[in-house]
Amino acid sequence: MSPTGRPLQLILARNLLASLDTAAFLIDARGEVVFYNEAAGTVLGRRFEESGPMPAEEWTGMFGPVDADGRPLSYRDIGVTKDVRGDRPAHATMTIRSAKAEQHRVAVSAFPIHGDDGFHGAMVFFWPHPGDEG
Amino acid sequence: MEARVWGARGSIPSPGHETARYGGNTSCVHVALEDGTNLILDAGTGIRNLGLALPEVLDGPLHILLTHLHMDHIQGLMFFAPAFRPDSEIVIWGPASPEASLEDRIARYISAPLSPVEVRELPSHVSFRDAEAVEWQIGGATIRADSVTHRGPTLGYRVTEGASSLCYIPDHEPGLGTPLSALEDEWISGLALARDADVLIHDSQYTDEEYPSHLGWGHPPLTDALEFARRAHAGRLLLFHHDPLHSDDFLDAVAVTAAERWAEMGGPPGAVVLAAEGATASLPSAA
Repeated sequence: MSPTGRPLQLILARNLLASLDTAAFLIDARGEVVFYNEAAGTVLGRRFEESGPMPAEEWTGMFGPVDADGRPLSYRDIGVTKDVRGDRPAHATMTIRSAKAEQHRVAVSAFPIHGDDGFHGAMVFFWPHPGDEG
Repeated sequence: MEARVWGARGSIPSPGHETARYGGNTSCVHVALEDGTNLILDAGTGIRNLGLALPEVLDGPLHILLTHLHMDHIQGLMFFAPAFRPDSEIVIWGPASPEASLEDRIARYISAPLSPVEVRELPSHVSFRDAEAVEWQIGGATIRADSVTHRGPTLGYRVTEGASSLCYIPDHEPGLGTPLSALEDEWISGLALARDADVLIHDSQYTDEEYPSHLGWGHPPLTDALEFARRAHAGRLLLFHHDPLHSDDFLDAVAVTAAERWAEMGGPPGAVVLAAEGATASLPSAA
């Protein structure tokens, strides 16, 4: 990784996500949400250009996932997060909330990004949970 | 350090009267450090003439820094005279791959049926080293490598000697369809490597009009090459890796366009030129 630039793998991943209609976000090796695409911004009710990068705790506090009572889960307690940080892909169903306080049941798939110099972060895709669409 | 271009063409050698001025040899730049160390950036067909011009007896090893292993960057290796001298020591640096060692990947070219000679048969002392995305020393220079956006594992190099630095990114598509103006600096591939370089040698294979039909081929449009240099605050920009279809007359017109766009971007006059075989750049090591 260059001293002040992002790892190439994250740059390429951002480029890919920016061109997709599937809602997706990108986290770096520290867990910071460094990008999410327009489709994700539509679900979350806030464009990335408005929110900018944010630490994982801030992200979960704002968008979830939330428990059955609507309380945000701790970043470290999220199974998908644990798997990805362990360099494993993960899939789960969870409830998130938008900036407008709307709750969405979504299916989430996360893929670690691993370059020749180690773990760089993950791409996280999410879809409306089957049965909750429309 | 003193840099000299021995090949500025991209993709495939393009000999002929229509390309005689800018040259038809593929990527190769020789950098002579003040302590006499020889660095060679890429081993396209330009390295053949360089090999003939170098003294037969050298004090130290020749260091060849390969950005990647596409043919236009390694094709000259088989015709590099020092490789056939028993007293030559050559160190070849290149991008690592999980698939095979650098030597094994280069041996796919320097082996039958593509070559009459095998790597192990070269009479010189050749060694291969992975160029990691870190800094290391060669002679009096600090070398830095970093991965950049191209097709397959590809590096850019920065050579710093004293107060001077040269950055070499001959194959690079930093925007990949996204306007560079829409990206923050940290999200532009290679920008940290090139920042404040006195001389930047950078890919500019396509015109803006040609680029849409070559999106994703690993090379930028002219405007992205200029914008990259502007964002990097490069002192001088040598536009490099000319498309094999671009004649000298065509490249003359590209040079005019580049100068106009550079001026519109607020760049100083004379800082942007199209690289041609034989072009030199002298970078004093003292501040």
